[in-house]
Amino acid sequence: MSVEQKVKEIIIDELGVDEASVVPEASFINDLGADSLATVELVMKFEDEFDIKIEEDDAEKITTVGSAIDFIKKQIGE
Amino acid sequence: MEAFYIRDLKIEKPVVQGGMGVGISLSGLASAVANEGGIGVISSAFIGLLEDDFSTDFQNANNRALTNEIRKAKSATSGVIGLNVMAALTNYKEIMNIAVDEGVDILFIGAGLPTDVPNQIGMKKFNTSGVKIVPIVSSGLAAKIILRKWDRNFNMIPDAFVVEGPLAGGHLGFKKEDLDKDDFSLEKLIPQVLSEIKPFAEKYGREIPLIAGGGIYTGRDIYNVFKLGVKAVQMGTRFVATHECDATDEFKNEYIKCTKDNIVIIQSPVGLPGRAIKNRFLKEIEEGHAKKVTCPWVCLKSCDAKKAQYCIGKALANAKQGDLEYGFAFCGANAYRIDKIISVKELFAELEEDYQKAKSE
Repeated sequence: MSVEQKVKEIIIDELGVDEASVVPEASFINDLGADSLATVELVMKFEDEFDIKIEEDDAEKITTVGSAIDFIKKQIGE
Repeated sequence: MEAFYIRDLKIEKPVVQGGMGVGISLSGLASAVANEGGIGVISSAFIGLLEDDFSTDFQNANNRALTNEIRKAKSATSGVIGLNVMAALTNYKEIMNIAVDEGVDILFIGAGLPTDVPNQIGMKKFNTSGVKIVPIVSSGLAAKIILRKWDRNFNMIPDAFVVEGPLAGGHLGFKKEDLDKDDFSLEKLIPQVLSEIKPFAEKYGREIPLIAGGGIYTGRDIYNVFKLGVKAVQMGTRFVATHECDATDEFKNEYIKCTKDNIVIIQSPVGLPGRAIKNRFLKEIEEGHAKKVTCPWVCLKSCDAKKAQYCIGKALANAKQGDLEYGFAFCGANAYRIDKIISVKELFAELEEDYQKAKSE
């Protein structure tokens, strides 16, 4: 499964949103109904699923679907 | 009521006096509570607003006031003293460091997720100080996130947790529309937080005591939450109505005068709902009459001073000092039941008697 697909699946699962709304520019908080706690949990899920570590400073920048995909790709060297 | 432990620290009475800002719980109240065997908690929130030079030198005013209050409390008691810290404050790290340097026993950290405390204090200082860290949460999810981050990043866990339900006073960790829902009641939150704590307590082979707060008023209330598995309670409102509370009589009178109907939920400029006693000031705000905001220092990460209708720090500091024309009192949902001011000693005796009565039934 591609990184994109896996990230989207995690988001759909964690935030309970429709696949159609999970577009690159969608903001977790403004568009996908997440609150700040849910966003933190989502980032932890990315850490678990991709076996990476996301520092607090980086985590704060992961606010959209696209930024999550880009960051994770870079982390795993894709 | 039975003693409880936060790691090696023995607390004779399982009652935590909740930190109340601005300036409602300082060294006077905290030391009186500690002398009765409970945990006395100083509120660090905007403590510098009570100094003369706050508008010109906020940071120093803040640090000086904090240091003084901790020293005063510690010289007045050999009991357990905690400090309440808001993680949303821009000087959060500095406050924690002063507290540890001054020998505070416990940091109670709310208004945000305290996921990085050992780093912020410095690992060496953190380990040698023996300071206890107690996050204040309003959901099982928040407890889980904090525990997982600590476990993963530091191979450590916080020493205890406070779960604060929707009946608490002041800023609340809930959405306004959720406050009245049964799913978010303290009785529902307690088992959720306990189940998140359990696997970590097992992994580390020690107890992580849970302290419950928000609407606890009588010894019977204490007994009832103990049955759910908590080890101590956090109470705020009851301690406002004591002689030792650090607020003025005018502030305490707001509690005596208020009725159930004028305890309201406001939307605070910091972006959280809060429970308060409605007065003319709040009515004017509600009607859209903004007050002049002079912001000496951006104290809260989430506050947009340019858009704020008033400065909440200043309004609360005014109220503490008795100026309720330009301020208002935060309070818990049961504040209307207060009808007189008693001593901290009398309050503890009343709670103990009522607890024993409930237990014997």
